[in-house]
Amino acid sequence: MHVVIINGSPRVQKYSNTEKIIAAFAKGLSEAGSTFEAYAISDRKTWDVIRDAYMKNDEILIALPLYVECVPGLLLEFLETLPKKDERTRLSFLLQSGFTEGCQLRCGEAFLEKLPGYLGVRYGGCLVKGGNFGIRIMDEEKQAQATKPYQAMGRLFAEGEGFFREEAKKFTGPEYFPLPMRLLIGLIQKTLAKNVFQKAAASLGCSTPLDAKIWD
Amino acid sequence: MVLTIDTTAEHIGQEIAEELRRRDKNAVELEVIDTAGMHISHCVGCNYCWLKTPGVCAIHDDYEPILRKMSGADQVWLVSDTHFGFVSWQTKNIVDRIMPLVTMYLKFKDGQMRHVMRYDHQPDLGVIYTGEGDQEYLKRWCQRTALNLGSRSLGVFSADNGKEAVSCML
Repeated sequence: MHVVIINGSPRVQKYSNTEKIIAAFAKGLSEAGSTFEAYAISDRKTWDVIRDAYMKNDEILIALPLYVECVPGLLLEFLETLPKKDERTRLSFLLQSGFTEGCQLRCGEAFLEKLPGYLGVRYGGCLVKGGNFGIRIMDEEKQAQATKPYQAMGRLFAEGEGFFREEAKKFTGPEYFPLPMRLLIGLIQKTLAKNVFQKAAASLGCSTPLDAKIWD
Repeated sequence: MVLTIDTTAEHIGQEIAEELRRRDKNAVELEVIDTAGMHISHCVGCNYCWLKTPGVCAIHDDYEPILRKMSGADQVWLVSDTHFGFVSWQTKNIVDRIMPLVTMYLKFKDGQMRHVMRYDHQPDLGVIYTGEGDQEYLKRWCQRTALNLGSRSLGVFSADNGKEAVSCML
């Protein structure tokens, strides 16, 4: 199988969490004997090349971060430039987000389920996974660790059934956190996490409180 | 204050405003923004508005004055053309860039993780669309997006039923 992988994140590739996820996924594809070519829409200058690859190939995977419950505006703009194709082409998605629980990504997934129909192509399923906000700020070793599970999904995808298999569905993890976990995470967010975020901000040269009311 | 943000090719926001003024002379404070000719970038996901310059977008274009008005409004109506049954990318860009109103901090609300809002006041959100919008999906999306803002959805109306939307503004 030869897969065209399109990174649908508007963030520059160097800092893109989606890019790190794609790297792990593609490694899995290769291990299972598939080949791939990868693109990123963040650089508009490459849109003609990406569109050409989309038109010439029949196995397409768009990996994207969730932006306000759906597809990022820039990806939506790119999608509007795609000519119609037919059902010989299969379009699958890898949807990732910062929020961790599966329920956070379902509205975005629902859009992606219908999108192939508008483009005239076949839907290959959607791999859904949250909890990826921090990848960008990890060192390389931690990044490799955090994205490793996607490698297995690459191997699974190479078997040809898109993301419809049970393993792909389970990959999302819990739809909601159970109550004790929510209480614990809620407490951490009120205390420890605030310090962690403020420290991360300080490393970017920020001395303003992260919840400052700028316009009051 | 009721704010309409119109990205449609046919500038239908103007008709909505006229209808509102016809029905209710001056009681409702209405502000109409037509984004034609404005430079509004997409969100580039830099996270600066959360982590580097909290509350301030790193992109300096025509968007910030719009966001300030959104932040102060009681109702924000997105007036949008549709594609793939969904709002246009022009409207989605406007929504994607609301992140300065949201802080990095997190909490649980109704069993789900949510961001803590930066300001005390949040606008309710509605959609008025042209073309073949997927009404059910748009409703779901608008509700979820309002949930993110800690506010309510005002509903989703096709431009043909714009008068119903106007009823919600009074």
